Amino acid sequence: MSFEKASDEQLVRFALDGDEDAFTTLVRRYQRRLTAFLSQLVGDVELARELSQEAFIRAWSALERFDPKYRFSTWLFRIGHNLGIDHLRRRRLKTVALHRTDREGDEVELVVEDTTKDPLGHFENTELAGSLKGAIEELTAEYRELVLLRHFGCLSYQEIAEFKQMPLGTVKNKLFRAHTVLRKALAAFL
Amino acid sequence: MATTCEAIQELLTEHLGETERLSDEERRHVELCPQCCEVAAGESALGLIFARVLPPADPTVEGRVRSAMKTARRRRRVLALLPVAASLLVALLGAVMLGGLPGGSLLALLPVWSSQGWVSLAASMADWNAVFTTAAGATTALLSPGVLAAAILVSLAGIGVIAIAARRWRQVSPWRDIG
Ligand SMILES: [Zn+2]
Repeated sequence: MSFEKASDEQLVRFALDGDEDAFTTLVRRYQRRLTAFLSQLVGDVELARELSQEAFIRAWSALERFDPKYRFSTWLFRIGHNLGIDHLRRRRLKTVALHRTDREGDEVELVVEDTTKDPLGHFENTELAGSLKGAIEELTAEYRELVLLRHFGCLSYQEIAEFKQMPLGTVKNKLFRAHTVLRKALAAFL
Repeated sequence: MATTCEAIQELLTEHLGETERLSDEERRHVELCPQCCEVAAGESALGLIFARVLPPADPTVEGRVRSAMKTARRRRRVLALLPVAASLLVALLGAVMLGGLPGGSLLALLPVWSSQGWVSLAASMADWNAVFTTAAGATTALLSPGVLAAAILVSLAGIGVIAIAARRWRQVSPWRDIG
């Protein structure tokens, strides 16, 4: 069977039997999505690559503890998310971070501009990239996380519901509201 | 906003404005409802933006993960052997408490070392029986029942840990695929 066509569940089973190629297929399948998600979380695409690499290694090391009743994608994103959050906590302790408060009173970290590390640095339209970044930052923490999981992590609504342990209907409704805000903020580009 | 509109707009958001994913009835509603039509157009455009957010793949990540996988696997094997070593020690301790191990004669009893094959094996079994009977008799005479019970428990625990550790080790052993 071609690994590229195999489901995540099948690949996990092969990987549990020691097949490194099966796990490498999972790495290939999720690398860009996990990096995109983490780069928005930590504000640095290079760091996001390192974190996603670490997430894959941890997933491989703990594969025997993976509960097959959950999806591999949500498990992997949870590992990556925890690594990202840990990194942000450490960074807050180490450096004097710049913060501002968003509309709902949640603290938002302002990342110093560096185009080589910019998660949207590959955008040709820099004005659009800047507006998208600004629009996402303007979202409440909860909406922002859902948007990142959906459009940067490319997770399905069902996967997000599992990741957030939230009813599917709530995910649908919250993403609809988040999109309403995004459509308004990006009206000039739509 | 009417409930129908909100439900349809939620669907439009989920499918990024792709009206083909809606039912005929929902699609007809979108065609006739200016608000839903506007959301459909906005979502399609938003979808085009989101389609570009993935960074280019980094081909070096795969290689780095692969080499780390090999290191992680080696480390797991070594770590999995630690409880085996620890449990062997515990079992040994239990055996010693029960009356000691047969000493220098141990190797001589093994049939592998004997040129007499099965005859030697039968003889050694008889010897082992004698060793255990003597050891058990001496132990019961010397040790109080409490200490004896504790020693038996320690031995059983040791055997249990060996069994669990052996199973764990098998899961990460390089020979797990055989058979
Ligand atoms: Zn409508």
